[in-house]
Amino acid sequence: MFHIKMPIFSHTNELEQKIDELHDKIIEISMVFKKAVHLFLKEQRSQNYRKLSKEIKTIEHEADVLRRDIENRLYAQNLIPDFRGDVLELVENLDKVINEFDEVAHGFYLERPIIPETYHEQLLELVNEVCQCAENLAFASRAFFKDFSSVRNYSKKVYLLEHESDKTTAKLVDEIFSSDIELAHKLQLKTFLSEVADIADLAENCIDQLLIYVIKRDI
Amino acid sequence: MSPIYLFFLSSGLFLGWSLGANDVSNIFGAAVGSKMLKFKTAAVIASIFIILGAVFGGAATTETLTKLGEVNAVAGAFMVALSAGLSVYFMARTGLTTSTSQAIVGSIIAWNIYVGHQTDFSVLTSIMTGWVLCPILAAFLAVVLYFVLKKAFHLMHLHVLKQYQLIKTGFVFAGAFCTYALGANNIANVMGVFVKTAPFEVLRINALTFSPEQVLFFLGAIAISVGIFTYSQKVMATVGKSVMKMSPFIAFIVVLSEALVLFLFSSQGLRNTLMTAGIPALPLVPVSSTQAVIGAILGIGLLKGGKGINWSITFRIVAGWLTTPLTAMLICFISLFFLENVFQLPVYFRQ
Repeated sequence: MFHIKMPIFSHTNELEQKIDELHDKIIEISMVFKKAVHLFLKEQRSQNYRKLSKEIKTIEHEADVLRRDIENRLYAQNLIPDFRGDVLELVENLDKVINEFDEVAHGFYLERPIIPETYHEQLLELVNEVCQCAENLAFASRAFFKDFSSVRNYSKKVYLLEHESDKTTAKLVDEIFSSDIELAHKLQLKTFLSEVADIADLAENCIDQLLIYVIKRDI
Repeated sequence: MSPIYLFFLSSGLFLGWSLGANDVSNIFGAAVGSKMLKFKTAAVIASIFIILGAVFGGAATTETLTKLGEVNAVAGAFMVALSAGLSVYFMARTGLTTSTSQAIVGSIIAWNIYVGHQTDFSVLTSIMTGWVLCPILAAFLAVVLYFVLKKAFHLMHLHVLKQYQLIKTGFVFAGAFCTYALGANNIANVMGVFVKTAPFEVLRINALTFSPEQVLFFLGAIAISVGIFTYSQKVMATVGKSVMKMSPFIAFIVVLSEALVLFLFSSQGLRNTLMTAGIPALPLVPVSSTQAVIGAILGIGLLKGGKGINWSITFRIVAGWLTTPLTAMLICFISLFFLENVFQLPVYFRQ
């Protein structure tokens, strides 16, 4: 392997860096989110949870700024429209995953759902699965830009984790509706579980598109 | 240059215009069609390098074409070029990608038949060998370049954005090289028949000396440039979008293969080098840039299992190769008869 430095690449370097930073944001938000859910189950809407929720909001905001910057730079680069369109779509889909993390974390803060302790372990399992799903999406997307051959490996992980998260969600919903808690409470919990599971669904959609881009771009 | 001569030369200029409209589209079609390059940028690059190629590299193929038929009356040359130009124009109107090389050879043979000159079959065989070898060689080179450059890209581990930047830059260089080679190889088709009757003198600009032949080629190249600017944009859209859904990398390979093939068939220097090294060299004949492009696309297409090629368009192009020289022969033969008998113009001089 050898690396080359050429003046024709001077314009792409900054854009590459920004795209890399967006991938970093997914990994960052996923880790903070995991921490936040753990904390919420322990302390409910505490000051500490508030701090983490704010941190998630900040990451989401930084990702939005990055996305806009990337979009502007993509137009300035004068890339092939077809390729530019694909990259724009990818960046927007990555941003949707980040937004979903923020929405769920903020939902916990606003609605303060009471989650019976019997479901804690399974909820943490679900959170773990969706976070891993998002992280592998970031790895796959990074690989799309740098190493096509690895995209497939990460994509496979995303598909498997999404499938696992679906199973975990279904099991939890079944258990919740078999319990004696009030119907309104059941529905609130179901909505929260669906929102958490949506993170994995968004990651899966993003991977579907990514794999098409790879087929289109593989020289 | 008298106005009458300019009038007669106009058919050659028209042929050059047709060449600019059609053949340059093969080179920059994919780049402009995919909006990798702006049409104006492509047109400026193509014009500059086609002029350089024609003026500084056009002698060898012209010599071959002159051997096929030495058109010695300017009115005859006018009609030979006009017939070729008209056939290319009509074929282009039908949407087929045409070949100027075949059109001019068809016209020259018609002139030979009309004036009773024996066509030199060794030269004709040499030219036709070139036609056959051209797409085969292009296919071979495209496959070799595909493997070599793909390997190089993988070794470089470039970011996708850098890959695109590199391909885009490569396109500009390959396109420039290809238009140079096209000018060198195909100026014979445009101006070859006028060489024997050219009234120009040696032109000296500072340290540069231009032969009468080069002055003639310069005028032809200007006509090609006009063709590029006025008509090639439409053909580029057809070439860029309808032949095959090419990735920018493959489109780049196709242009590079075309450039190498055209250069191999027109460079006296390269031929001498190859022969010195004991490598069998190719005949220096005007070949069809269309054949080169189709050959390269077919080579890549076959390599990839033939799924990406639009066969119906490919066959329409092949049909164009056959009908163009036949159309040119027919038009030329009938027109020479009218020119001589109705307009009382000499279409040849007995030697």
